[in-house]
Amino acid sequence: MKAALDLVRADAEAVLSGRTARLDALRGQHLFISGGTGFLGAWLLELAAVLNAQHGFGLKLTVFSRNARDFARRWPHLGKLDWIHFQEGDIRYLAELPRDTRYIIHAAALTDRRLFASQPGAVAETNGLGTLRILRAANLLEDLQKFVLLSSGLVYGRQPWETPAIAENFAGPLRCDEVTSVYAESKRYAEVIAQCAISESKLPVVTLRPFAFVGPYQSLQLPWAVTDFIRDSLNGGPIRIMGDGATVRSILYGSDFAFWVLSTLVNGRARETYNVGSPEPIDLISLARLITRHFTPAPEIRTGVGQSGHDRNRLVPVIAKSAHDLGAAVTVPLPVAIERTIAWNRLIQSS
Amino acid sequence: MSQPRKLPVAILGTGNIGTDLLVKVLRSPVLDCRLFAGRNLSSPGMTKASLLNVPVSAKGIDSIRELRGQVELVFDATSAESHLKHAPVLAELGVTVVDLTPAQVGRMCVPAVNLADCLDQPNVNMVTCGGQASVPLAWAIAQANPGVEYIETVSSIASRSAGPATRINLDEYLLTTETGLRTFAACPHTKAILNLNPAQPCIHMQTTVMAKIRQPDLARTRERVEAMVAVIKKYVPGYQLILPPLLEGGRLVTMVRVDGLGDYLPRYAGNLDIINCAAIAFAEARAHRRQT
Amino acid sequence: MPDKPSITVCDATLRDGSHACSHQITLEQVRTYAAASEAAGFSFLEVGHGNGLGASSLQVGESLVPEGEMLRAAKACLRRTKLSVHVIPGFATIQRDIAGALDAGVDLFRVGCHCTEADITQRHIGHVRSVGREAWGVLMMSHMASKDVLLEEAKKMQSYGAQGIVLMDSAGAYFPADVTEKIGLLASRLDVPVGFHAHDNLGLSIANSLAALEAGARIIDGTAKGFGAGAGNAPLELLAAVLRQRGYPTSLDFYRALDVAGVAEKLFAGSLPGASDITIVSGLAGVFSGFAKPVQRAATQLGVDPRDVFFELGRRKVVGGQEDIILEVANELARRQAGANPGSPAP
Repeated sequence: MKAALDLVRADAEAVLSGRTARLDALRGQHLFISGGTGFLGAWLLELAAVLNAQHGFGLKLTVFSRNARDFARRWPHLGKLDWIHFQEGDIRYLAELPRDTRYIIHAAALTDRRLFASQPGAVAETNGLGTLRILRAANLLEDLQKFVLLSSGLVYGRQPWETPAIAENFAGPLRCDEVTSVYAESKRYAEVIAQCAISESKLPVVTLRPFAFVGPYQSLQLPWAVTDFIRDSLNGGPIRIMGDGATVRSILYGSDFAFWVLSTLVNGRARETYNVGSPEPIDLISLARLITRHFTPAPEIRTGVGQSGHDRNRLVPVIAKSAHDLGAAVTVPLPVAIERTIAWNRLIQSS
Repeated sequence: MSQPRKLPVAILGTGNIGTDLLVKVLRSPVLDCRLFAGRNLSSPGMTKASLLNVPVSAKGIDSIRELRGQVELVFDATSAESHLKHAPVLAELGVTVVDLTPAQVGRMCVPAVNLADCLDQPNVNMVTCGGQASVPLAWAIAQANPGVEYIETVSSIASRSAGPATRINLDEYLLTTETGLRTFAACPHTKAILNLNPAQPCIHMQTTVMAKIRQPDLARTRERVEAMVAVIKKYVPGYQLILPPLLEGGRLVTMVRVDGLGDYLPRYAGNLDIINCAAIAFAEARAHRRQT
Repeated sequence: MPDKPSITVCDATLRDGSHACSHQITLEQVRTYAAASEAAGFSFLEVGHGNGLGASSLQVGESLVPEGEMLRAAKACLRRTKLSVHVIPGFATIQRDIAGALDAGVDLFRVGCHCTEADITQRHIGHVRSVGREAWGVLMMSHMASKDVLLEEAKKMQSYGAQGIVLMDSAGAYFPADVTEKIGLLASRLDVPVGFHAHDNLGLSIANSLAALEAGARIIDGTAKGFGAGAGNAPLELLAAVLRQRGYPTSLDFYRALDVAGVAEKLFAGSLPGASDITIVSGLAGVFSGFAKPVQRAATQLGVDPRDVFFELGRRKVVGGQEDIILEVANELARRQAGANPGSPAP
């Protein structure tokens, strides 16, 4: 276990190296993180731990989540820090925020694709109502500096195959007459709820639209391409790709994601929307190969295992605005990100 | 001395004002909140009340009716429109009503000035936030100076402390505040002005009272105003005199700042806090009187 | 060159000028000036207290003449030129003030508010429209909000029924690039015509007005000889010249429009504004131009530097209508200067 935690700590230190000046405004501040025990939340806590331990930031965190206690028990190196308050609760019933909260990261949402199928109504309720509730509570704060809403890259609808990457002003079609749209629509609704708060109360909201990610703390049970491939490889393979493998994604490492979000707290312009993700496209075949090369024997990669008609699609962000305003960058190249993720999962499994 | 039996009360309206009032009632040694009633069970106020183990209901005025004989005082923190409907029902139930809306059904009550006169009233109206801040000063000025010709009050509040209902009803706020000044300062000509300021961090409520006086007695005015501020401070701890009375440009001017207690509402919302503090001051006085 | 759009020129002399003479405009001045404004062919003549209907008060100064009398006197002198008033919710109420102005025959109600508070104008704009008169929305102190906020607030006013939107540079704090950015965005995104109201604290009133026209403004405000708050407004006589030279069609009779300067010079002698250390600092601090006179008065009485008062007011981000804070600030500065007896009033 210690080796796994050391790996994450080293990554958190690396991503902050030489860049803490961008976060100086956070010194001594109280941050409230909803949904703070997920993949992003864990990485935010890791970065905060480095900022406090090595850079004297004096951050105070309140981590609000449905499974805050379980998380604190599971990861005692974070759970036992006295400047983090773990608050267990359901975002749909949030009534108040700590009075001295100056920064909010609203990441609480149902993001599990299996839930989209089995309990789509709950997804709509939590992601919409939860956003409404936390914004109302934020409106009672005396000196809120920034509210960062985690939306989703899926709000863009379908990215046209011939468009290499999409910027924040892109809007593709979404079908509201299909239940499979529930997650993307819930995030679009959350975004427009945030726009209402901006218009009614002038709340300093910044919206982030995350794309795809990989790294330690990410559950391999989530049926996304990269987690599927790693899980199947750890299990000895084969990797199964429904279509021909030409579908294109871009994948960002957890430490870069967390820095991006922290920098948004300080440097994001209120009312603006920013993409969060890697601008480097990769097709599924190449992604699978990046993974299988870490295993001997290399697991088999099977393509076309689905019914015909699996079309190719693409989801890659333009990040010029984020790079300019937030100083966001990919500091961990994808091959390294994959290598670290596999190493972490092996260390965790063996501990 | 034995602690008096607590006065059983209910709160109608679960918005920001009602929720802040709830926190104050729960802190009071002489008030007992039997019900927190509104229409929206999923409002943040309802959530908070449930977490504090206060009985809640979404049946509004009907839920109060069902408690016939069990509550003796009801705070109405809904809207003027709703209070006009609630007032006859509450009168029939025989409960004392503290109306925090600008409906002006009952006698205007500003505790620092006329608490004793209001204690037997079935329905008291808490004027407006600007009224609670300015009326006592206007009254003190009138006490010190027989020749008050004109009284004016200006309040500046943080934009964020003015909810949608306040914003759309600015005219009613101004007219009610002017009526309050006219009534208490016994001055035929009055004016109220309200400014919303969006600065961040939010500004705390400030209220200025200005008067035209034939022969102003500044020393006596200062004395009276300072004595009045001390009285108000007893039930509005954040009430402070920031500009003692002075004469400038042919007018007498004095100014206060009101910091809220920060119970549920933020501290800058002194404008919302002061009306709740006044309502609690009245209710507690009723509770004490009932014992004697 | 393509045909330029026709520009609505609003004459605010008898309203903004109220600030310049501590609200002491006489009925005779109203009549004489209204006749000159009519002859010049301005689209609208605005009349009343500097802070608009119902604003005569100890807070911002009492008008010499009741507003009903001023409005009737002006109306009697106007035929082509329409009569307008400024209205600020929080000062003016529908029942007490707008009703009387409707009776006096006011054609246009320019309903204003601090630039971030548009929703307080909903009822007033709605009322004016419901009785069949014209209503515009005015965003005051507009240097204090970003272009996106201004657009959002302007859209609110448009949704309430405003038939024009005017950005006021109430503090005289704009530079031409700010005007281009803000007016440009509003002009391209609103359905109704957009206007600009300049102040000259930094000597940029004409430059800013021209920037507004070039960015798409269809309405422009000015006052004769700049007779207005602080360092004054964009002088109408100069606006007339600029509009003519740049080829913008207007309803003006050019020579008569130039003549208003001479009329104002005689009529308002002794009160005409000009740049001074006070008005410059006011513009730099971004404080409402109308504060100039009360600040000077309070600074003199309490023995402090009026420029310090302005910078402190700017730091506190006061808005128009908060004149009472001037005394508090001056008193506080005086106490700090004295260094003794904290908590006591200044002598």
